[in-house]
Amino acid sequence: MPYFGSEETVKDLKRALSNPNVQADRLRYRNYITRVIRSMTQGLDVSSLFMEMVKASATVDIVQKKLVYLYMVTYAGHKPDLALLAINTLRKDCADPNPMVRGLALRNMCNLRMPGITEYIQQPILSGLRDKASYVRRVAVLGCAKMHSLQPNTEIDPSVVNELYALLRDPDPVVMVNCLRALEEILRDEGGVVINKPIAHHLLNRLKDLDSWAQSEVLRLLLRYCPRSDDELFDILSLLDGFLSSAHAPVMAATLRLFLHLAAAHPAVQADALSRARGPLLAVCGSASRELRFAGLSHVQQVLRSQPAQYCSHYKRFFCSYSEPGYIRLRKMEILVELVNDENVVLILEELKSYCTDVSTDLAQAAIAAIGRIGRTYTEKCLDILTGLLALKQEHITSAVVQTFRDLVWFCPQSTGPVCKAVEGCDETPQDDEGKQALLWLLGAHGELISSAPYLLEGFIDGLKVEISSAVKMELLTSTLKLFLSRPAETQDMLGRLLHYCIEDEADMNVRDRAGLYYRLLQSGPDRTRQILLGPNSDPSMTVLTGRPEEPVSVWASSFNTLGSLCGTGAGPENLPAEDSAHQVHAAEEAELGFGPAEQNLNTEPEEPLSDAAAAELDLTAGPPISHEAFERLWLDLQVVHQQVLEVRRPPEPPETLQAAFLLVKIQTLAFSRADAALWKAYVYSRAGGTLLLAELLQGAPEEPESEGMLLVSIKQQPENQSAVRNFISVLKRVLQTLSSNTS
Amino acid sequence: MIGGLFIYNHKGEVLISRVYRDDIGRNAVDAFRVNVIHARQQVRSPVTNIARTSFFHVKRSNIWLAAVTKQNVNAAMVFEFLYKMCDVMTAYFGKISEENIKNNFVLIYELLDEILDFGYPQNSETGALKTFITQQGIKSQTKEEQSQITSQVTGQIGWRREGIKYRRNELFLDVLESVNLLMSPQGQVLSAHVSGRVVMKSYLSGMPECKFGMNDKIVIDKQGKGGTTDDAGKSELGGSSGKQSIAIDDCTFHQCVRLSKFDSERSISFIPPDGEYELMRYRTTKDIILPFRVIPLVREVGRTKLEVKVVIKSNFKPSLLAQKIEVRIPTPLNTSGVQVICMKGKAKYKASENAIVWKIKRMAGMKESQISAEIELLPTNDKKKWARPPISMNFEVPFAPSGLKVRYLKVFEPKLNYSDHDVIKWVRYIGRSGIYETRC
Repeated sequence: MPYFGSEETVKDLKRALSNPNVQADRLRYRNYITRVIRSMTQGLDVSSLFMEMVKASATVDIVQKKLVYLYMVTYAGHKPDLALLAINTLRKDCADPNPMVRGLALRNMCNLRMPGITEYIQQPILSGLRDKASYVRRVAVLGCAKMHSLQPNTEIDPSVVNELYALLRDPDPVVMVNCLRALEEILRDEGGVVINKPIAHHLLNRLKDLDSWAQSEVLRLLLRYCPRSDDELFDILSLLDGFLSSAHAPVMAATLRLFLHLAAAHPAVQADALSRARGPLLAVCGSASRELRFAGLSHVQQVLRSQPAQYCSHYKRFFCSYSEPGYIRLRKMEILVELVNDENVVLILEELKSYCTDVSTDLAQAAIAAIGRIGRTYTEKCLDILTGLLALKQEHITSAVVQTFRDLVWFCPQSTGPVCKAVEGCDETPQDDEGKQALLWLLGAHGELISSAPYLLEGFIDGLKVEISSAVKMELLTSTLKLFLSRPAETQDMLGRLLHYCIEDEADMNVRDRAGLYYRLLQSGPDRTRQILLGPNSDPSMTVLTGRPEEPVSVWASSFNTLGSLCGTGAGPENLPAEDSAHQVHAAEEAELGFGPAEQNLNTEPEEPLSDAAAAELDLTAGPPISHEAFERLWLDLQVVHQQVLEVRRPPEPPETLQAAFLLVKIQTLAFSRADAALWKAYVYSRAGGTLLLAELLQGAPEEPESEGMLLVSIKQQPENQSAVRNFISVLKRVLQTLSSNTS
Repeated sequence: MIGGLFIYNHKGEVLISRVYRDDIGRNAVDAFRVNVIHARQQVRSPVTNIARTSFFHVKRSNIWLAAVTKQNVNAAMVFEFLYKMCDVMTAYFGKISEENIKNNFVLIYELLDEILDFGYPQNSETGALKTFITQQGIKSQTKEEQSQITSQVTGQIGWRREGIKYRRNELFLDVLESVNLLMSPQGQVLSAHVSGRVVMKSYLSGMPECKFGMNDKIVIDKQGKGGTTDDAGKSELGGSSGKQSIAIDDCTFHQCVRLSKFDSERSISFIPPDGEYELMRYRTTKDIILPFRVIPLVREVGRTKLEVKVVIKSNFKPSLLAQKIEVRIPTPLNTSGVQVICMKGKAKYKASENAIVWKIKRMAGMKESQISAEIELLPTNDKKKWARPPISMNFEVPFAPSGLKVRYLKVFEPKLNYSDHDVIKWVRYIGRSGIYETRC
């Protein structure tokens, strides 16, 4: 018990409540009852007063009655035998001429949670369902649900269910909605309340009479209904139209969700609904209460997954204000990153830059990370800002900047030079584990460009004894070894010391094993080490080229307007099935590509007319699309079979046109870089006869400045077939020439 | 649906706890206290998940209100419900404070009993609730009253009861706006919007039908085609001239307004509730009149001194007076002393709030005033640069910064014999500052 001397209090109360003088004085009596409830709220166990409280329930004072009922509802489970004493009073009240008293008694009787109560409440509930006062009917309807929850495993009484379905036509809107709620709970095992055509239309027609809570609940239940025809669908949508601009954010969001669900087969309607909901959604994001603002922002984030362009011009709405709590500001920054385009990039970066010096470490680091994300597309501008931040010489900022640098180098290899220069100029080293690891990675991976790399590493090795984090030690091992491969003379000595320490003195098993592994690797010779340690990696810049794909609305529509959308993207359990199916698709692709699709095609379909003319065999054909991962794997595995500079300029068309043009001649496209990028790349593939052709188009390659404006084609093939390559090149050339002649 | 509702004071002591469903136990009360109220770091999100139970909280002054649920509910709805709960409580006993909650403890339990049943919202209109939950408790009701209450609780027009009579038919219209601004140090507007409310107090007999008109751009443009002479006659309620019409970004109405009519004709017609209520809420972002301009000048003199000069300029008609002006100039944490000189009003350095607070009682339009301060700093080892929070401002002006004007409000009551002319109408405009910040 939380309070000292609680027993005394209970005894005092007991004495007072049973004192006839107190009982005679209404106000004093009620005062003592209030004190009992207060103690109950604070967590004191006052269940021993049950007897006295039951006696107090026989009164004309409604307030006192309510208090006593509240008490009984709380403790009835502990004292079922005593609670039965109160039932009589309650049943008598259920027949009171005043509907308020009837409703109150019925509600509390249903709230009593104890075994055996059902036989007493069944009759009052049934008569309550037919009461002439709608207040009592409201209570009785929910009473059915409460009764069911008391004994969830018993059979459902069909007569009650029928009665509830009939009450859906009740003139009182709250009774109607309560019916839906009750049916939903009672029929949960059977999939909830059934929404057929008459019910759906009835609900839609009554929708405007309901209060906002009921509206959003009905809209949620209507998700279950699917219209028979397009005409019906559009009738429903036009009925719902007004609710898209409802005063209440939840109703608006629920309507939008229903729109998206119903119009799943009509993407144009979906897009229209989203664009009309934009105003109300933005209004919620600017509403006075922060919790609603937070909910609004989360929903905007979901919409952005499909329609990033829609909100671009409203980026100023997502600027943070100084007095906003951290959780709102973090969301706003995430949104700002999504909204960047050529026009607003300068202003957004300016704004984000001012958040980097925020008092809160979390926010500052988030802002720096946001700049890093933008840097994947607008590398130069962001690098300037990030380098400038290093000059502030504050630990948490330096650490975040270094981490951002690491990611940037990984995603945009062309930024390596400036990053290395910036790291070299920075004389502050991060002190937290994350930052240390990032710095070590940079030193290891690009040590040849950072002249001070060995000295920095030496500093870490000297401080090894006081280093606690084993992750940092692992990173240190890897990066020292990498640096040794690129600058052996300067690093040999310290590598020896490091390995010695890690193998002999280190307590952490993982670090020791890693050190042992590297030691033995070195014994097999530097070339072998280089081959293993610096082997080809996957090329992440490919994902930058494509940008984040715009997801179809259906991916997130199911979690829209639920808790899932607030708890971060994709955290909801609803997303699991989608992920599973993605895995399956992926697995199927792998199986298909395992031995090369062409080969397999031949194997599995031997009846394919192989006897056709050789020319036809070399014609390009389109096959099933290849995923990014599969393409990447093939690209890394295969060698370049053919490389050639095409005497054509890169076509200035937008990617969609290019893609369509390529598809006409059966060349499938995987990825394009942005139209305005300095280093333009495209990945395409096609099939011809029995081979799969992968090609990279590159313009403005840094190592060949004289080929300015010309396209460099590299082709990889599996299995090799030179005539197919020639054919492919000629087709490719023809397409590109046609395109560029069109524009000129 | 909501499984339970708890109210805590700032120390985490439970003031009110009401559980609606079996799946929420007493331990939920403690879980929220330990994980959120007593948590060491700042609040990470208004929704907290503890052991598969979601806690939604809002804070009013130092009172925490938390709704608990185990279902995947619509979060925005739960928050709206909590706000509604706050509104209802405010309507009953004023400000939500620990003392008020303790004093009205019984009343709150009564309210919680009516508003939610089995976790489902039932009846949350203050007007309807007030008819049968009264503060005096013991109240003998006559038969007539009883039937009136039941019809009120369950009637179709939930917001107004039949048979209201007043000797004097009066109505008060308040246009309350809060203007929000974020301005760069160079005086560039980064973002500005006005969120406004039209609040009405009506004391009208019977079931009157009202029609409300304002200088909404869409309506004016539509009428402009018909004939402009009509306009001049109608604007007598609006008062002074100014911008002709305003573009409203979005607006929402009280449930009494017929939305279908608004959508088709953009006219606002309704049967008003009795007493005070909020007719509409709106937001504008274009052509906002910014009542004040703040021009900051901060100069760092060496490492231990800071010179701040702030000029404020009022930008409205000279005949109008702004009131309750307060400028808050943040100072660094290591401030040791401040000397302030201001031309007008009073300025004080408040060490506990790390700010210089400059108060001016009244200021007319098209004036300017300035303050200069010398801030002495203690030398510190902390290399962290001072982040310079923005200068914020509070004020109240007697016009609507959005430019909204009330053009007319007509009352028709066909059954009782009083006409539109017999109704006494009052219109008032108040513009307040919302978040009004200028970076420095």
